[in-house]
Amino acid sequence: MASFELLTPATVDAAIATLRAIEPARRVVLAGGTDLLLDIDDGRAAPSQVISLRRLPWRTLDWVEGSLTVGSTLALRSLEKEPEVARRYPALAQAVRAVGSVALRHSATLGGNLARAAPASDLIPVLLVLDAEVELVGPTGSRSLSVDRFLVASRRTAIAPDELIRAIRFPEPRPSAYLWQRVRRVHDISQLAIAVAWSPDRKTWRVAVGGIPPRSVLLPEVAAALGGERPGSSELHTARARASRAVALVADRRASEEYRRQLVGVLLERAVRSALGGGAAG
Amino acid sequence: MRPSVRPDAAVKLAGKAAYGMDLDAPGMLWGALVTAPVARGRLRSLDLEPAHDLPGVVAIGPDDLPSLLPPSRGEPDRAIFPTEEIAYCRQPLAAVAAPTWAGARRAAAAVRVVVDAEPALVDLESLFPEWPGPDARRSPNVLAYVHAKHGDVEGAFRTADRVVEETYRTAGVHQVALEPHACLASVEDGVWRVRTSTQSPFGVREDVASLLGIPESSLVVEGTWVGGGFGGKGASLVEPYALLLARASGRPVRLALSYREEFELGRTTLPAVIRFSTAVKEGRLAARRVRLLLDGGSSLPGRDFATGYAINFLLGPYRTPAFEVEGYGIRTNKPPFGPHRAPFAPQCAFALESHLDEVARAIEVDPWAFRAAHVWRDGDETPLGQRVGPFGLRAALDAAGELARRWRAEIGPGEGVGIALGFWSTNTGAGGEVRLELAPTELRVVQGEREIGSGSVLAGLAAVAARATGLPPERISIDYGDTSRAPFDSGVYGSRTVGALGRAIVEATASVRRTLAERLRATEPVHLGVDGGEIVAITGTVRRPIRELLRPEERESGLVATGQHYARTGSIDESRVVEGAFYPFTDFTGSAHVAQVAVDRDTGSVTVTRYAAFQDVGVVIDRETARAQVEGAIAMGLGTALTEEAIWSEEGRLENPGLLDYRIPTLGEVPVPEVTLIEGYPGAGPFGAKGLGEPPIIPVPATIAVAVREATGAHVTELPLSAERIVRALKLL
Amino acid sequence: MSRPIELRLNGRPATIPDVPDDERLLDTLRWRLDLKGTKEGCRTGGCGACTVLVDGRSILACLALTREVEGTAVTTIEGSASDPDLARVRAAFEKVGALQCGYCTPGFVMTLGGLLKEIGRSAPIDQFLRGLDGNLCRCTGYASIVRAVAEMREPGP
Repeated sequence: MASFELLTPATVDAAIATLRAIEPARRVVLAGGTDLLLDIDDGRAAPSQVISLRRLPWRTLDWVEGSLTVGSTLALRSLEKEPEVARRYPALAQAVRAVGSVALRHSATLGGNLARAAPASDLIPVLLVLDAEVELVGPTGSRSLSVDRFLVASRRTAIAPDELIRAIRFPEPRPSAYLWQRVRRVHDISQLAIAVAWSPDRKTWRVAVGGIPPRSVLLPEVAAALGGERPGSSELHTARARASRAVALVADRRASEEYRRQLVGVLLERAVRSALGGGAAG
Repeated sequence: MRPSVRPDAAVKLAGKAAYGMDLDAPGMLWGALVTAPVARGRLRSLDLEPAHDLPGVVAIGPDDLPSLLPPSRGEPDRAIFPTEEIAYCRQPLAAVAAPTWAGARRAAAAVRVVVDAEPALVDLESLFPEWPGPDARRSPNVLAYVHAKHGDVEGAFRTADRVVEETYRTAGVHQVALEPHACLASVEDGVWRVRTSTQSPFGVREDVASLLGIPESSLVVEGTWVGGGFGGKGASLVEPYALLLARASGRPVRLALSYREEFELGRTTLPAVIRFSTAVKEGRLAARRVRLLLDGGSSLPGRDFATGYAINFLLGPYRTPAFEVEGYGIRTNKPPFGPHRAPFAPQCAFALESHLDEVARAIEVDPWAFRAAHVWRDGDETPLGQRVGPFGLRAALDAAGELARRWRAEIGPGEGVGIALGFWSTNTGAGGEVRLELAPTELRVVQGEREIGSGSVLAGLAAVAARATGLPPERISIDYGDTSRAPFDSGVYGSRTVGALGRAIVEATASVRRTLAERLRATEPVHLGVDGGEIVAITGTVRRPIRELLRPEERESGLVATGQHYARTGSIDESRVVEGAFYPFTDFTGSAHVAQVAVDRDTGSVTVTRYAAFQDVGVVIDRETARAQVEGAIAMGLGTALTEEAIWSEEGRLENPGLLDYRIPTLGEVPVPEVTLIEGYPGAGPFGAKGLGEPPIIPVPATIAVAVREATGAHVTELPLSAERIVRALKLL
Repeated sequence: MSRPIELRLNGRPATIPDVPDDERLLDTLRWRLDLKGTKEGCRTGGCGACTVLVDGRSILACLALTREVEGTAVTTIEGSASDPDLARVRAAFEKVGALQCGYCTPGFVMTLGGLLKEIGRSAPIDQFLRGLDGNLCRCTGYASIVRAVAEMREPGP
C-alpha cells in the first residue's frame, strides 16, 4: 500500500483545482523532488497526496528584450546549459553549477528550490541580488512578488495555499558573482555564500548572504557602502566591516560564528572583484 | 595478456555481479532493526506486541532467544540484545521482519521502547580532565591499558638540550564502503545458512556461532561480491539478527542496514588524544614519552591490540634511544571501536610526523634531514627490541626528498611541499589455506575469500599462482567456496591476503611438483607449461600432458594439493613491557609520501595540487593492482586529512550520519598521484612480497599537515585539517 | 493506488503492473524488474550509485518516483551493451581497469554515458570530470577513472 497518492494534473487549471480540493496540511507539491522526497523518507513530511507538476508546460526558458524568464519546472541542468545565462547573469550560472551534481540538476528545478526555501539554498542569494520576481498563479489569476518578499523564513514562503510558482523572471542582465565556502568544493552545502550584483539601471549594488540559518538575506547597508560601479579600497573596507556586523552569523555544525565572520568579508571582496570581471577594484 | 587489468571488470561493468544488497529468495521477508533511541540508559520495557499485530510481521527480542537457540547455549561473550544497560545510540534492541521493506520499517517503528536515559559519556577527555592518574587504569571505564619503557628516560629528559611537548587530537572516521552491510539468511533442517557481503566468511562463522551458541559445523557462511570493506566488514554485524529472524519465521530473511544505520551502528576508528614529550640532545632524539587516550566506544574488540599495536606508530620508524609509552582505551557511549584500513595508524602518523616537524623546527634542523638521521635501517632495533629489516623506507625517503626538492623549486606563494613517512607490516600470521586442483587444461585455486575490490584475491592470487607454477594467467582460475567447502582462511584484512594465501599457494605448488615428479619418476625438477591447449609437466626433455598423469579418481577434481600458511614471525623484548600486550611485526613496509598543496590563507581552503607516493613493496606481484591500491589509499587518506569527521552530540547521537554531512573526497579533490613501487627489500609474502592494502594510507594525513605548514606556517594539531582549523592556526580568528 | 505504467526500458516497450504511487524508480528496477545492476547506496542522492538514464539524461533513481518517469525511455546498466555511448564507456573502463569493488561502477558508466550524449565525445576532458562530482568512489581514488575518461574521449579507430 502506498503511503501517498500521486496526482498529475494535466493543466494549470486542473492543478489549481487539485490544490483547492485538498486540505493544505495533507498534500505537497512535487517539482523535481530531490529535496521533497528526502523529507518524506525522513518523516519530516507525511503527505497523503503528492501533486506532481510534471505535465504542466513550465519547462521553459524565454528571453524577452535580453531579460530572462525561467519556467518553474525547468531542470537546473537546462538552465546551466544555456550559454547566454552565463554571459548575462554570471552569478546565476555559478550558483546553478554549485547545486548538487549533474544527475541531481537533471531533476532539480528553480521553482522547487525557491518553493522549498531551504536556508542553505545556493540559488536564493543570487535570485535576491538579481531582483528576481516570482510569478505566482492561483485561482483568481497571476501575481508577482519579489523574491525578498516571497521568502518569509526558513522553509516558509508567502505563497498562498492555492497558488503555484509559474516562473521566475529576471530583470535586466547584471554583472554579478556568486562565491561560496564549503568543506568540499562540490556536492556539498555552503558554510557561507555571497552573491553580489551591480544594477546598471539603478546604479546600485545588491549584496546577499546565504548558507546561514534562518534564511538568505539582502544586505542593503553593505551594498550602499560599496557606492558606485567601481568601489575603491576604502569602500570595500567599509563594506567588509559592515558585512561582518550586518547579519547574525550564527554558529552551527558547519561553521563557527568567528569563521563565518572571517568568510563574509573575504568572500564579499572577492565577489565584487569577480563581478567586475576580475579587474582590480580600487 | 588478460583482456583487462581487472579480471572482474566484465561482470561488474555488465551489472551482473550480485552483492549482499542484491540477494533475494522466494518467500523472503525483509528485516529491520529496532535500535536504542539514546546512547546511555536503562531499558525499562520493550513491547513487541504492536509489531506482532501488523500483517505478516515476525518480531524478536531478548525474551525470544531461549526458544530460538539451543538450550546448551553457554554465556556468550557479548549479548545479542541488551536487557538492561544501553551502551550506545542505535544499539540493536530487537529485530523485525515483514513481507515488504516498508512493512519492516513500519514494524520496527511500532515496537514500543521505554528507556530511562542517563547522561552519556561521549567526550573522551571528560572522564579524566587532568589526564589519567596512577589509579586510572582500575577505572571501569578503562577498557585497555598498555605501558612499556626502555632506557634511561628520566636521565635523557634531565640532560636534554631541548624538550618539545605537544598534544594532538584526531577525529573518528568511517569506512564508507558504498555498499551497506547486507545479508540473506535461512535456517532449514538444522542448518543455519547466511550469504553475506563480508571480508571474512570464516570470521563471520566463528563470530556468529559463538554468539548464538551453535556449532560451527551447523552454520554455513557464503560470501558474495563485496561493495567495499576497508575493515568494516571483517566481523559479523547484521548476520546474527538475520539468522534469528529466519529461525523465528521459517522464511529466508534479508537484512540490510540503511546508509544512516551504516554510519550509526558501524564499527570504526574513534577519536583519540595523543601527548608527546620529546627530549633532544645535540641535534638528535634522546628520548620520548608518548601518552595515548583512545576512544574505545562501548567495547574495544581485541582490547590491547588497538592500543598495544597503535602505540608503535607513535614512536615511529625512528631510532629512539629511550622511551616510555602509555596507552589507555577508554569506554564511551559509542558503538564499539572497529578496524578501518590500517586501524588508527594514519592518525598516529599524523601526530608523530607533525610533532617531528615541530621538533626539527625547534632545533632549526631541516625536517627531511632530521628524519633521515633517525629513520630505521636494516639491523636497527625497534623500540620494543625487534630487529628491523629488510626495510625500504630509507630508499623511499631519499626518493621522496629528491622529488620534493624539485617540486619546491617550482611552487609559488601560498603553496607548500611536505614529506611524511609511515610504516606497517604484512599480517601473514593470521592463518590461511588453499587447495590447488590441477586439471588437464586449467589450474584451479580453491580458497575461502571473495574479492572485496582490492584485487588481492582475483588478481593477486592469480598472479602468485602464475608465478609459482609458471602457467600463463589465463590458465588459472580463482575458485571460491562457502565455509562448508573451501579451505579455512582468516579473512581479507591486515594486508594479508596475497601474503598468507600466496605463501600457501607456493607451498601447494611445491607439493604438486613433488607428486608430478613421483609420477614421472623424474630425476630433474618438474615445470609446468602449455602445449596445444593442454597443460603439460616438463622434466628434462620429457613433456607429458597432465591428462595422462591423472589417476582415475582425479578425473573430476584434477590433481589436488593443499598448502597453508600460519607462520608468525618476529618477537619483542618482553623486558621492556611493563603492562599489557605489545605485538611484534611480521615484516617492515615503508611508505614515503610527498604532497604539494595550495592554501587559501583567508578561507583556509586546501587544494592538493600534486601528490606522489614511494611505496616499499618487497616485490611487485601485479603492478596495476599494486598501483591501484596506492592510488585508492591516498584518496581515502585525503578524506581523513581534510574533510572526514564523525560528530557526536553531547547526548551521544551521531550528528552527521549521511554522505552529505560526512564528506568523503569527490573526484575533483583528488589529484592523480605519481606512484613509485620500490622493490628489493623482501617481506613476508610469496617471493618476498609485502602487503599493500593498508600501508599507503598511513602517511597521507601527515603529509598534508606538513605541506600545509610549509605553505602557510599553520601548525594544526587536530584532524581533520579543516579550513576553519587552518584559519584558526593562522590566528585570523 | 497502483496502476500499470508504460515506458521504454532498455530499448524495449515495457508495462509494469502494480507500481505503488510512492515507489522509487530504484526499487522498481531492483525488486520488481530484477535489474539489480542499478546499485542502492545511500538513498539520499549523495553517492550516485543508482544513476540511470531517463530519455538519455542521468538522474538519481533513489530520488525519482517511478510514476514520474511514465512514458519515458529508461536505460540501466543492463541495457548498456546496446547503447553505443554506454558501450564506449564500458569498453574504456574495462581496458583501463577503472574499478575495484565495482559498486559505484554502474553509476559512473551511466553518468558518463549521459555526458557523452549531452556534450559529445570530443568535449574537453574537464567537462567530463566535473560531471562526475556526484559519483563517489571509495576504492580507486578516481585515478583509474580519470584514465578511463581520457581513453573514452579518444576517437575510435
